[in-house]
Amino acid sequence: MADEIDWDSFPLARKGNQFQDFTEGQSLPHHWGRTLTAGDNAIFSTATCNWNPMHLNAEYAKAHGHDDVVVNPMLVLCTVVGLSVEDLSEVGGPFLGMEDVTFHRPVYPGDTITAASTVVETRESESRPNVGIVTWHTEAHNQRNELVVDYRRTNLVAKRRAPKDGDT
Amino acid sequence: MTDTPPDVGLTGDGNYFEDFSVGQRMQHFRSATIDEVENNFITKQVMNTAQGHWNEEAMRGSPLGDGRLVFGLITGSMTVGLTSQDTAENALAEVGLDKVRFRKPVHHGDTITAYTEVLSIDDADRDDAGVVRFKHWGRNQGGDVVCELERTVLIKRRSHWVAS
Repeated sequence: MADEIDWDSFPLARKGNQFQDFTEGQSLPHHWGRTLTAGDNAIFSTATCNWNPMHLNAEYAKAHGHDDVVVNPMLVLCTVVGLSVEDLSEVGGPFLGMEDVTFHRPVYPGDTITAASTVVETRESESRPNVGIVTWHTEAHNQRNELVVDYRRTNLVAKRRAPKDGDT
Repeated sequence: MTDTPPDVGLTGDGNYFEDFSVGQRMQHFRSATIDEVENNFITKQVMNTAQGHWNEEAMRGSPLGDGRLVFGLITGSMTVGLTSQDTAENALAEVGLDKVRFRKPVHHGDTITAYTEVLSIDDADRDDAGVVRFKHWGRNQGGDVVCELERTVLIKRRSHWVAS
């Protein structure tokens, strides 16, 4: 019976990394990958008011030398960051910013994106002893292993606190 | 391809490479409210697993503000989107972004207005286009800057793309 279940006996299947989990030079291949579809691109581009015909009018894109619409690069970027979140920032802290985002080549509907990051730098926060600062370099490739986008991202990352007396 | 330039009638005439000048400023005409579709849906669409963006209970009483926190790149994408007709309607490609900063938390129901200044104008490695670097700001309904970024776009030259 449901009211007899001890819910505290179910351990939480935790996700994510904290500051102590990162070391400089460490490689982090991210999970899942994502095939970006025509539907993804149309929904994302319209919902973000980016009604550019290069992203939404296939005939216009073809007249500019593409085989199909060009997937909105902001969708590609959002997806790459999304794929990296569990490894990098899910339990870390707020997203503060990114540097040197380069869109290396177009992505087309049906292309599959995978993402991986390298830890560039880890350092302590002088003002906040319970967090550190981590910089990653993230690269995303398509199904032909061609580089699609890369960038650097720096975040505050929470530290795993030291066990205290009474912790189980 | 036909003999007719591909963009006749489909895109505006005031936003070719030649139309931009360093220091030029624009407040973009349309603002947009971020809500269920823009944050809750797209954040999951792009596989962002951080539940603070789509679990109302997870963020109740958060120091960042009560309720679901908008994924920063949704705010950034909306800011870019709101600028896109004026800055990229005649673009050939998005080249990159830099100095992307998320300054303040954004929540469902907040409305973003976008502003642009032209930072630089340069030749491209092709004759039919040039490179424009923009600074964009997104402000909320209270006037606070919530995000800022620099963005580089490859834009067609009217001289090559519009029949005279």
